[in-house]
Amino acid sequence: MGSSDEELVEACLAGEVAAFDILVARWQRKIRGAVYRVVGSEEEAQDICQEAFLKAYRGLSSFKREARFSSWLYQIALNLSRDRLRRRKTRNWVSLDEVDETPAAGWAGGRAVSADQWVESREVQRLVANAVAALPEEQREAVVLKEYQGLTFPEIAEIQGVPVSTVKTRLYRGLSVLRERLVRQGFDEHGKQETAYAVQRPS
Amino acid sequence: MQCNVLRDDEKIDVLYGEASPEVAGRVREHLSTCADCRDEMNGLDRTRQGLGVWALPDSPRRRTPRSASWALPVAAAALLAMGGALLYQGTEVRYDAGRISFRIGVKDDEGLRKMLAEQDARHAREIAALRAAIPTAASVRLAEIQDLIRESETRQGQRFLARLEELRERTEGQRRIDMARVSAGLSYLDGKNGKQMARTSELMNTMLQASYQR
Repeated sequence: MGSSDEELVEACLAGEVAAFDILVARWQRKIRGAVYRVVGSEEEAQDICQEAFLKAYRGLSSFKREARFSSWLYQIALNLSRDRLRRRKTRNWVSLDEVDETPAAGWAGGRAVSADQWVESREVQRLVANAVAALPEEQREAVVLKEYQGLTFPEIAEIQGVPVSTVKTRLYRGLSVLRERLVRQGFDEHGKQETAYAVQRPS
Repeated sequence: MQCNVLRDDEKIDVLYGEASPEVAGRVREHLSTCADCRDEMNGLDRTRQGLGVWALPDSPRRRTPRSASWALPVAAAALLAMGGALLYQGTEVRYDAGRISFRIGVKDDEGLRKMLAEQDARHAREIAALRAAIPTAASVRLAEIQDLIRESETRQGQRFLARLEELRERTEGQRRIDMARVSAGLSYLDGKNGKQMARTSELMNTMLQASYQR
């Protein structure tokens, strides 16, 4: 049984630096995934993720115990992401190079895919990525934290610093906008692209 | 037309399977009669499924081509095979004084050995000639450089003397101006003192006259 995040934070504050390594190993992939989907660039996501952990380590003494460590970490990472996006001031497009090279999860159900399917898979990923990237900041964050990070509504509310009802409204609006965009970009709502939508939920 | 019977948060709760039994029942009942809301909920559900297509890139991102995993052993094997073949044919690879030298061909080839010896001798002669030419060229260049330095020094000396003369003239001029000013100042003071003396003596005389009269 591993120690809880809060126990590791206590250990780290008591001078056990290795405890922070465990926290990094535990949360790095999750945080990087969230940041990647918010900023739309893998390289920037790596940078922001490293910066977030560094900031967390330096500010560990200011961490309030009533909040979850993970929520605090998400807050730091998302604040850094917002700063980065504001500095960038250009629209957050995701290029074909940024999307995963392997066919999307569930796309082919584990079967070998043809070149056409592979190209189509990448194109679908790019369309989805760009549709998410075009959402307003707070809606994008709500969608990413719920859909890709699988967080609960209270957790997202804690991270975004808003009531649960606001999170649900943001999510509803975000999903509605995404629905319109994806349909406009050629996804047939009534089953033509059913294979593209027949996917597993991300774990 | 958009139906307003269901609230946004209720739709979201149902969509994510987090609605209370009461809310879930109420929404289900409404969806059975409202085509607009049913379409919307189906559309949102398909959108959620569509979002799952966007996979996360591997970490760290692979920058090297995947073929590198087999290309390296294949290249190493090819090099070994080539080396073996060359050795079998009598080729020698020698490392001496920081240089790698190859001797390619079959052993005991008298003609080849003779030709190589002649080439070595010719190269040695050429190198010796080049070495002999180096000091001459260097000394010529040195003389040219020394001339250039000398010319430059002369030019700088002349420029320095000219500047010095100019400075002397300016200092002399300034000295004359200053002397004239001092002289004028002294004359003024002399004049002023003379007037004061005259006024003082006049005053003294007046006072003496007054005392005599008393």
